[in-house]
Amino acid sequence: MVFAESLRSLTANLSTTVAATMTVLIGMFLLGLFIALGTWVLSWSDHAAAKLRIKVYMCTDATCPKTGEATPAQINGVRVKLLDTPGVKPGGVIFVSKEDALATMKQRNPDLVEGLTSNPLPSSFEVTPQRAENVRMVSNSIRNEQLPGVEKVRDGEKVADRIIQVATAISTFFLVAVIVLVVASTLLIANTIRLSIFSRRREIEVMKLVGATNWFVRGPFMIEGLICGVLGAFSAIFLLLLGKAIIVPAILDRFEADSEVQAIGFGWNALALLLVGLLLGAVGSGLTLRRFLQV
Amino acid sequence: MTETPTALAEPEIVATPAPGPGTMIAFENVTKVYDPNVVALRDVSFVIEKGEFVFIVGASGSGKSTMIRLLLKELEPTGGRIFVGGRDLGRLKGSKVPLLRRNVGCVFQDFKLLPNRTAAENVAYALKVQGESRSSIRNKVPEVLSLVGLADKMNSLPDELSGGEQQRVSIARAVVNHPPLLICDEPTGNLDPDTSVGIMQLLYRINRAGTTILMVTHDREMVDKMRKRVIALEGGDLIRDERRGSYGTE
Repeated sequence: MVFAESLRSLTANLSTTVAATMTVLIGMFLLGLFIALGTWVLSWSDHAAAKLRIKVYMCTDATCPKTGEATPAQINGVRVKLLDTPGVKPGGVIFVSKEDALATMKQRNPDLVEGLTSNPLPSSFEVTPQRAENVRMVSNSIRNEQLPGVEKVRDGEKVADRIIQVATAISTFFLVAVIVLVVASTLLIANTIRLSIFSRRREIEVMKLVGATNWFVRGPFMIEGLICGVLGAFSAIFLLLLGKAIIVPAILDRFEADSEVQAIGFGWNALALLLVGLLLGAVGSGLTLRRFLQV
Repeated sequence: MTETPTALAEPEIVATPAPGPGTMIAFENVTKVYDPNVVALRDVSFVIEKGEFVFIVGASGSGKSTMIRLLLKELEPTGGRIFVGGRDLGRLKGSKVPLLRRNVGCVFQDFKLLPNRTAAENVAYALKVQGESRSSIRNKVPEVLSLVGLADKMNSLPDELSGGEQQRVSIARAVVNHPPLLICDEPTGNLDPDTSVGIMQLLYRINRAGTTILMVTHDREMVDKMRKRVIALEGGDLIRDERRGSYGTE
């Protein structure tokens, strides 16, 4: 019965139905876009930050004339110390021997390595911090240890700072944008619903006077809002899907295709939009009605 | 009918009897003050018995509309108590207000029909709100519409009906539940005299069938002709309550 009532008023007030649906559509489309972009950028900056490593170089004959080449005992001591340093990711300590380093170098710049009689490269440790923001802190604490056999500790200072700054700025920006967007579309939808209800306040008054309970009046309006919300959210999802299919592949070619960098799954995004749309529609009309039910 | 044949030529003030089992409406020292000290009703008391036909007369702003809104519990009185069908409205919970309104039919000057529903659907709405079954709605609606003489206009929208016909629809909607009390707020206020007579006849018939009718009106001629009980208000005071009254004082 209530459902029939709401269907009838949906068709009877087609223009307001369309207006409300469009409002939801625009709000949800922008929201979906921002969620996708935001999560993609966040994932990118996470990925970039994860590449931040602290390099601990061991002594060689050439770099430490006083102490000479680091002994295996020293190297082992450093490894134990590094594993114990707070802020280091568990399992985030990788040993790169002189030979490994030379092999890597040979791969990258074969010309440089040619004609070398001995291996001048130091052995080193690559240390990954648990959180990218802590890279400075961890490298400083390693430096302060003044471990025997360690020549120097490098943390890619400027690059690290830059990436972290950008990542923080971007995540703050997207958080604010999403909040502003949600608030704005809530207000917009509430306003549209209020208009549609306002144009029917006489109807509501009559319903109350013939003895309709609040829920009997509210029900059809809420289902109406729900239907508008679902329709709007579905159209938004459809548009986003279209955008994903057409635009994203064109852009993505220009970035290095890194499978680790990904936006939140489309299904989750769509689900979020649908839920927000539903909630906005139903709660929006239900709450807005309260004022008009005081008859 | 509670009218007694004792009323003589001299208009008399009806003594306020205590509300008993035969009482439909009782006002006990009811006062209503709107916010910045506007007194709409001042210490008004009267009792209306079941089956009575009562006119409420008075100039605009005399408190008639306030009285009706109090009866429907759209407003709360500032002081005093109101009983409808033996129930104290002050003690009626908000959730029970719809039940009260289903037992009080209402007819208004501006009809208050739902504009995008046909005559039959407007009447059916009053039944739907109380969860009446489809089959019972299908039975009752044509019955009550033919009672008010609109059997052939069932599927017309309010816009397609004349003022008198719209008022008949709203009366049909008001009485379809067989409420014991029918409140009419200037039901003939927007209608021409001939149409008004038809509406009054209809209300009279409904009253004869046992429904208590409380009617606010400005229609002097009608009140004088019907010779029913008249309660007159002026500036919020009850100034006259006569068994077989007329619109003005003679």
